Formats: sequence, C-alpha cells, structure tokens
Amino acid sequence: MMTHSQNTIKLVAGNSHPELCKQISARLGIELSKVGAFNYTNQETAVAVGESVRDEDVYIIQTGCGETSINQFLMELLIIVNACKIASARRITAVIPNFPYARQDKKDKSRAPITAKLVANLLQTAGCSHVITLDLHASQIQGFFRVPVDNLYAEPSVLRYINENFAREDIIIVSPDAGGAKRVSSIADKLDVNFALIHKERKKANEVSRMVLVGDVTDKVCLLIDDMADTCGTLCKAAEVLLEEGGAKEVIAIITHGIFSSNAIERLNNSKLSRIICTNSMPLEDKLERCSILETIDISPTLAEAIRRLHYGESVSYLFNNAPA
Amino acid sequence: MRDLVVLGGSSHPSLTKAICRNLTIEQGVVKSVKFSNGETSIEVVDSVREKDVFIVQSGCGDVNDTFIELLIMIAACKTASAKRVTAVLPLFPYSRQADVPHAANKTGAPSISHQKDSYTFDSAPSTPRPLSRAASQANSNSVNNPIANGSGTINNNNLKQPTPTRKLPFVAKSIVTNSAGTLGTVDAYGKTESGYKQWIAQNGTLIANLLTTAGADRCITMDLHDPQFQGFFNIPVDNLYSRPLLKHYIIDFIPNYQQCVIVSPDSGGAKRATSIADNLGCSFALIHKERRAKVAKNPPSTSMSSSNSVLSLNSSEVLISGQQTPASSSGQMVATTMLVGDVKDRVCVLVDDLVDTSYTITRAAKLLKDQGAKYVYALVTHSVLSGDAINRLQKSSIDKIITTNSVPQADHVRHLGTDRLEVLDVSRILAESIRRIHNGESVSMLFDHGW
Repeated sequence: MMTHSQNTIKLVAGNSHPELCKQISARLGIELSKVGAFNYTNQETAVAVGESVRDEDVYIIQTGCGETSINQFLMELLIIVNACKIASARRITAVIPNFPYARQDKKDKSRAPITAKLVANLLQTAGCSHVITLDLHASQIQGFFRVPVDNLYAEPSVLRYINENFAREDIIIVSPDAGGAKRVSSIADKLDVNFALIHKERKKANEVSRMVLVGDVTDKVCLLIDDMADTCGTLCKAAEVLLEEGGAKEVIAIITHGIFSSNAIERLNNSKLSRIICTNSMPLEDKLERCSILETIDISPTLAEAIRRLHYGESVSYLFNNAPA
Repeated sequence: MRDLVVLGGSSHPSLTKAICRNLTIEQGVVKSVKFSNGETSIEVVDSVREKDVFIVQSGCGDVNDTFIELLIMIAACKTASAKRVTAVLPLFPYSRQADVPHAANKTGAPSISHQKDSYTFDSAPSTPRPLSRAASQANSNSVNNPIANGSGTINNNNLKQPTPTRKLPFVAKSIVTNSAGTLGTVDAYGKTESGYKQWIAQNGTLIANLLTTAGADRCITMDLHDPQFQGFFNIPVDNLYSRPLLKHYIIDFIPNYQQCVIVSPDSGGAKRATSIADNLGCSFALIHKERRAKVAKNPPSTSMSSSNSVLSLNSSEVLISGQQTPASSSGQMVATTMLVGDVKDRVCVLVDDLVDTSYTITRAAKLLKDQGAKYVYALVTHSVLSGDAINRLQKSSIDKIITTNSVPQADHVRHLGTDRLEVLDVSRILAESIRRIHNGESVSMLFDHGW
C-alpha cells in the first residue's frame, strides 16, 4: 500500500477578515503562512508566496464582505487558491464563512445570472478541492459544486448563547420571513420553546412593504433569528410589528452574518430592537462602537475545529450539533 | 446585422458606444447595479436567445470589480441561451505579469506610490555615459565655450518646453494591502528569513480559465503584452494590433519621420519596436534596463535577528520590526538603464504596449534627452497611468504622448492637456473585427491595415 508522507495544516489569510484569521490561527496554535495578497497601483492583485506549501494541506480564509470590495476579495481568493495550486499544495480548502453571491442562487428574472453557481465554478476552476462555509443562505448551493462542501452551522453557538443568556419560559423564537422558518423551527425544537413567523410581502429586493405576524408573542421576549442581516430593514420592521401588533415584551435579533450595509447601523440605532447579536463571520470594524446594541458571538472555534477535523479525516458532523468551547 | 448584440460593461462605456456607432447597431441594454452589500447584479434587458453576443469590458479602473462584472455578464448571457458569447477586452486584465517573480516589495510596479513634487527619473546608480559625451557636458558647464554654448541655444529653440497645464492634483486611489501582515521581509535575493525564495504567482492561466468557465466562447483583445498569452486559452483568441494605427500617426504627423529613431524602452519591447522601424525604414535604438541586488558592505548581523525572535513570540512582529533595522538596507534593488544606439540630435519615438506607473518610459525619456535627443514622442497602446503616473509624465521630458482609447483617457487628457496627450481611436478596429467575426470573415487583414 502506498503511504502518504505526513503533511501539515497551512493557514493562509486573505485580506478580508484579518481578525478572524488570527483567531483561528490562535485557536489551532498554527501560525498564519507567509502567503499574502497585495494590489499593484493598477489595482491588479498579486500573491506573494513566502514559504513552501508543497504537498501541504492549505486552508485559505476569506469571507465575502465589503461594500466596495466584495469582488476584489473574491478575485483575491481565486488568485490565492490558484497560487497554492501552482505551488503544488496537496489539498486546497477555501474557508468562506459568508459565501459571496449566496443570494443570487436562482434565475428569479429572465436573463438574470445564477451568480452563486458562477462563483462555485470559478472556485473549482481556480483549484479548490474543498470548501468550508457557514450557514449558506440556501443549502442547495452545495449542489453547485463538484467538490465537497462542508456547510457548518452557527446554530450550536447560538443555542449556547440563548441558554446562557435567557430563561426558556420567557422566550419565543421568531422567524422574520417564511424562508427562515425551517432554521428557526429547528432551534425552537431544540430549546423546546414556541415559535412564531412573520410573513413579509416584497415588491423589490431589499424593500419590504407589509408584514403579517403568525403566532402569539404577547409578553414574551422575542428572539428574531435569521442567517443574515444586510440593510436591516426587515429586522427593524419585524421588531415594530412584534412590539406593536403582537404585544411582545422585548425584541432581540440573533443572526449569523452581520453584513450591515449602507445605513444599517443608523437604522439599528433608531430601531425598537433592544439587542442584536451576530457572529464574527464578517469584519465589523467600527460598527461595534457605532452601535451600542450590537454584540458578537465568536464563531472561530467552530471554524478552527472544522479545519482540524478535516485535516485529520475526522467526522465534521459533530459540529452540526455541538459548539466547541 | 441580424443576431448581433453588443453589450458594454461599466469600465469603458464610451468605447462601447463608439463600437456600436461604427457597427450602426443599437447597443444592447444591460442593467448593472450593485446591491447594498456590494454584490454586482446583472440583468440583460433585451433577449439574447440564439444571438451572437459581444461584451466589451476593458481591464482598467477597478480591475477586479470590472472583471467579475464581465464574468457575471458572460454567465448571464449563457444562461439566457445566447448562441455565442465573445469577450472583447481591449486591454486584457492581468496581461502583464510581474517580470521578476520574487522580491515582491522590491521590484515590479510598486504597490504604494506617493505623489512627489519633483522626480529625478534617474536610475541609481546613474547610467554610465560614453566618455565623449561626458566630456562635452563638462565643457558646456565651463564658462566660455562658444561651440558648446552655440549647440545649447539651438537645442533650446528646438525643444518644446513642457508647459504645466494641470489644474487639479491627481490623487491615486487607495489600495488593499496585506492586512494580516503575513508577508515577511525579503532580502535582495527575494529570500525570506528561512531562506525560502519568495515568489509571485502568475495569474495568466487563471484569468483565461475563469473566462472560459464563465462561458466565453471567444476573446478579442489588443496588443497582448505576452504573445504567449493566447496559448493559455482553450478558446480562440483574436489579438488585434494597434501597430497600423501608430504607423499611420508616425507617417502623417511626425515631420521628417524617416529621420527619426524608433526606441524601445525595454528589451521586452524590442521586437515590437523593430517591426515598426523596419516597416518605416527608420533607425532603431534600445534601452536596456537592468535590475540587480545592491551588495551589502556588511552582511546583516545574525545576532540581531536571532535575539529578536527570542524576545518576541509573534513572528510577524519580528519581521515588521526587522524592516526598520539598518541591516535590512541591503535588501535594495538597483536599476540601471543603458542606451544602445545613437539618438544625438534626432527625434525619438518611444514605442511601448503599456504604460502603467510610467517609471520605465519616463526614465527612458530622461535618458534619451541626456543623450542629446531633440524631441521625444511616446507611442503607447494602453495608457493605464496608475498611481502617480500622471504627475510623473507631467514632469517628465516626454514632449508628446500618443495613445489609444483602449482604456478611458478623458481623465488623463484633462490632466495632461490635449497638446501633451493625443488619443487615437481603436473603436473602428474593434468594430470591424466584431463585424468580421460575426460574419465569419478573415480578421488577419486587420493586422496589417489600419481601419
């Protein structure tokens, strides 16, 4: 039998979320590799490789973020993947907590592209042999890939947060839209609490016209749970509906990917939400300072553990139900 | 022309418009907007079912953003059942790859450039000059030398003094750098502390593959920096030339063009320049650029670096602090430029395919003027002019720059002025090639004749 020589984990940091990279690196006790991307003055990206990754197990951490630079970071990721491939890495895993273009996953209009599929194809063309992501907007995106995709869940971390911070009798879990009902009902089942749903009518993307509450939330602490918060229009409106129409005591939002684009922070500050909790899958920069009700859950232990398990060939499914401490 | 649709990306709308005007067709309508989270949203408004689609997108401005936009547009047309999708990239993104694959911070285009008030355009150490020239210069500096003074006045009359026309200061865009600080310092030979030679990945094949993956069936581009680039593709690539256009300019607008010298600013462009020189019957000169590592007088002390790593646990901090130590001054590259050929009292025409930071071409112009050139033209296909290139060019000894509109030039013209920067139109060549490809005619006649 042919035996493979031992190889090690190489962590490569993209420029999108240096903090998360450092946290994962600290958690694993592995230093970030001397591979880095930078831009020339003509805005073209280049990757300098400062140490050998030959026959190593490479993990590239890059999240989809930045209102002006999401395409820049996507290109950067493709170029780093390609650089590692040229450098003869044995396996290249892209760790993409927030998958870019995840919401453009279907042909919802005539002649609209399925960009999520394009991104999947581009990653594979660049040389990705494995993808780790977190709370994909639509889990069907896994089917866009011909390589294995490990879709991790923030759910265990969120459950722990809820258990540590709330009494079960007081809370009710609310889904801000019908699409998230499944995600929310699973959390409600595990906590053994009731859940409610808000049905929203959309006329244009990012714009919500009317909301209807389904379920009883009277005098409860409502936990609005969603996979991402972008402009936060939905969350703020939902909070109003819950408080005014439903008679809720308090509304708290728990989300996985805090994108908070355009004037989301101002909106949150003026909203009726008493708290908003998101994971650190996206760089929040100064948003924590600008928004006093914003809190974070550290997701790096889950990502780090997934990387470790993947490298040693252990099962990743443990992480679907358990959050590493 | 039935079944022909020309779409335009956001990088160069005026060129798309000009191409459509030349083809006498209406430009296809594409809605390209950004979602609030920065993601690009494309919607092709007109039907492209079973159509022959051409998408014009130049590799300029925010290159990565426009390139992803192009990929999404190609994918959108493909999902909308287009018969064939052709990417028209007048300037091919990532066509110029780092020429020295190591020592990222020391060679190639700088990742950060600051605007300065004055530039020397000198290479360090200064270029060695022929003895006679040096002697005559020394003479002209002396007080009474009628011959030298005489030639000096003639030169002054003939020389067109560059006049500053700039009104607004040109501000370079901010750039993304290695934010995690994982890139260590390298010595002059591109080696990191561990002795591994740092290298820069070449993106050519990746870009070609990405275009094919998105669904492009064909590519049209212009004056590819590397002719080998065509081989990276598994789809047909039509590489057009701006040479006929530039040749016409020389013949029509340069007085006594037979007497001028065609100069290549670096050895890589020698072939391009000689082909023009041969074609016109002009003489030819070459500037040779050499990059060498400056040899340190004292080797960096090993005790210093080892003590650092003992003190600090974080290696990236060591590397950053190591940058400031005097020992790392040995990690410098020196560039020397040398002129091969005679340009004294001649009109020089610098020919290059791409001017980006303008380091090469301004340095070349300085060298030519130092060697006694009368007037320096620069004929450039693609003028990206990134960083502080505009300021460099403004203060340089290039008397006139002639370029094409393969990338938007309106900004550059505004800063440099129309008498300093002249723009030739490539939309006709591109339109004619689109027409020929659509009709299945030969494109090769465009290689020799301007349009």
